[in-house]
Amino acid sequence: MQTTFIKPVLGVYTALFLLFLYGPFVVLGILSFQIGPNGGPQFPIIEWSTYWYQHVFGLTPPSRIAPLPIYEGLARSLTLAFMTMIVSTVLGVMSAQAFRTKFKGSDVVFYLIVLGMMVPGVLVGLGLALVANSVGIDRTWWSTAFVLHVVYTFPFAFLVMLAIFNRFDPSVEEAAWSLGVSPIKTFRKVTFPLIFPGVLSAMLFAFTLSYDEFSRTLFASGRDLTLPLAIYGTFSIEIHPNIFAFGVLTTLFSFALLAVYAILMTVSLRRAKRLAIQEDA
Amino acid sequence: MADVLRIEGLGKSYGSKPALRDVSLAVADNEYVSLLGPSGSGKTVLLQLIAGFELPDRGRILFDGSDIASVPAHERGIGFVFQNFALFPHLSVYDNIGFGLVNRQSDPVTDPVVLSSRIREMVELVGLSGLEDRGVHQISGGQRQRVALARTLVSQPRIVLLDEPLGALDANLRTRMRGELRRIRSQLGITFLHVTGSETEALAMGDRIVVLNEGMIGQVDTPDIVYNSPLSPNVAHSLNCYNLFTGSIQSSSFLAGTHRFPLNGTLHPNPTPAYAIRQDLISVRPGNASLASSEVALTATYLASEYTGAAFMYFFRAEDGHIVEVENHLSHRAAQNLDVNATYQLVWKADDALVYG
Repeated sequence: MQTTFIKPVLGVYTALFLLFLYGPFVVLGILSFQIGPNGGPQFPIIEWSTYWYQHVFGLTPPSRIAPLPIYEGLARSLTLAFMTMIVSTVLGVMSAQAFRTKFKGSDVVFYLIVLGMMVPGVLVGLGLALVANSVGIDRTWWSTAFVLHVVYTFPFAFLVMLAIFNRFDPSVEEAAWSLGVSPIKTFRKVTFPLIFPGVLSAMLFAFTLSYDEFSRTLFASGRDLTLPLAIYGTFSIEIHPNIFAFGVLTTLFSFALLAVYAILMTVSLRRAKRLAIQEDA
Repeated sequence: MADVLRIEGLGKSYGSKPALRDVSLAVADNEYVSLLGPSGSGKTVLLQLIAGFELPDRGRILFDGSDIASVPAHERGIGFVFQNFALFPHLSVYDNIGFGLVNRQSDPVTDPVVLSSRIREMVELVGLSGLEDRGVHQISGGQRQRVALARTLVSQPRIVLLDEPLGALDANLRTRMRGELRRIRSQLGITFLHVTGSETEALAMGDRIVVLNEGMIGQVDTPDIVYNSPLSPNVAHSLNCYNLFTGSIQSSSFLAGTHRFPLNGTLHPNPTPAYAIRQDLISVRPGNASLASSEVALTATYLASEYTGAAFMYFFRAEDGHIVEVENHLSHRAAQNLDVNATYQLVWKADDALVYG
C-alpha cells in the first residue's frame, strides 16, 4: 500500500533532480550550435551550425567577435590543478597514514585539517591576499593561489584516504614485517598497491576541485587569471555562444578524465577478476 | 636442549587494564608448544609482543640469548602465522610465498633460480603443487592456511608463532591440518608456539602446554599432566572438562553451598578453595542407590543431554542451582535412559576429585 504510493513519488523526484542537474547543460549544448557570427545566445535557433566550435579553435574568418581570452587561463588552470592534485594527494596519504595510530592531540589536528574545506572560500582568499600584501609577497596563481588550493583540496584527499585506511587490515603489514621486510618496503610493496584505488579517488577529487575553484582564486591569484576567472571575465562584456561551445568542450574533457579514472580503477582491480575467470575455465 | 626463546617478567597494559602480568616462559629448540587461553587471557598480546608488533611495558624477551624486546619486528627473524592468514591479496600464491625471500632487508634472495627452487620445495612440502599461479582469493580456506604457513616457513625462521591458525577452518579441515602442522614442523625442526582457545587442539598439538589465565601463566607441562592434574581451578576451568565447585574447607570436608564433600588425598595449595571433578569420572545412579565408603554423591535433577557421537553429555542441576556436566563415553557405558526433571545421584570416587585450598 505504502510502497505503491512512495515509488511514483520518488520516481518523479528523481526525474526532476536529473532535469535540474542536466537541464542547464542541455540548454548550453543546444545553444552552442547557433548560427554565427550574428546568432546570439538565446532561442530560437536560427540555423544549426558548428560555427562557434570553429570560432573556439580560431578556424573562422575574422569578425567583430574577438576570440575568447581564456586559453592562457586554461593552461594555468590545468597546471595548477595538476600541481594541487600531486601535493594534496601525497599530503592526504601521509596524514591519513599518521592518523592510523591515535596520537596526542589527534582530534585537534583532525579538525584543523578538515577546517580547510569548511571555511568560506571568499574569506580565506581575502585573508591570504591581505597577509600577502602586508608582508610584500606578490600574488600569483602558482604561489598564493596554489597554497589555497592545497589547503582546500587536501582535506578531501585526507578524508578519502582515512576511509580507505579504516577498512585496511593491518595484519598484512605485520605479516610483511615478520618476514623481515622493512616498514618502508612494506608500504611500497603491500600497503600502497592495496590502497591504490583510494589514491586514485583522492587524486580525482583534488584535481576537479582545484580545476574549477573560483572564490579562493579570485583574491589570491593576482593579475594572471585561471580558467574560471577568465570565463567569468567574459560575461562582463557580451556573451556569445562561443563560451557555450567552450563549456561543452571542457565538460567533455571532464568526462574523458572520469573515463581515464574508471580505466585505471578497472586495471587496478583486474587481477582479482582475471584470476576469478581462470578458476571458471 | 637449548632454549631458543626465553621470556622474563613480561607485562603489558592497555590504559589501566593489564593484558599481561609478569609472564615468564622458556621454549626449547625444536619443540611444539601450545598456548591455551580463553579469549581475553592475553594470549594474542603475548604473541604480538614476541613478534614485535607491540612493545612490552616491562620484562625481557630473549631470543637466542639476546634481548629483542626493543628490536623492530622486521629485524627479529621470528615467523608469524595469522588467524585470518593475512595473505597479500594482490599477489599470487607463488608471489605470496616468495615475498619474504625477495623483499627482506637482510640477505634477500636475488638469484631467480635459487628463489624458484626454494619456493617449489616449500609448495611441495605444504601440498600446494599446481596452485602456484592462482590468486589467494581463488583457493579454499585450507589451501590459504597452507600458503600462510609456506610463506613463513620458506625463510626458515628458528621459531614460528601461530595465532589460532586453525580457527578459521571448518571442523573437518581443522583435524586434518593438525596432523599436517605436526608433520611439517617435525620435518623442518622449527620451534612452534601455537596459540589456541580450544583445549582439544592444545592437548593434541603440543609437546608441552602453557595455560594462560587473566594475563598470567597457570601451568606449563606435558598435555597428560595438565589434563589429569591441573595446578589451579583456573587451569581446570580452561580445560573445559571439569566440574568446579567453589566453597571452603572445614575440618575434613569441602563445603560448597549446601553440599558437603568428604576430603581424601592431597590438597593442592591455592588461594581460592575449589573442588574439581572431571566430567567423565562421574556416574549417574538412581536416587535411592547405596554408596561405597570411598564414593561421594551429589543429588541433582536431570535437565538435558547432548549427543556428541562418541559420547553423551548429561546436564544436571544440583540443589543449589549449580549445573553439573557428566560425560558418558559410549565405549565405556551404554547410553542411559534418564527422565527429565527426575532426581538422580551423581557419584564419583573421592580419590578422583582434585581439591584446591
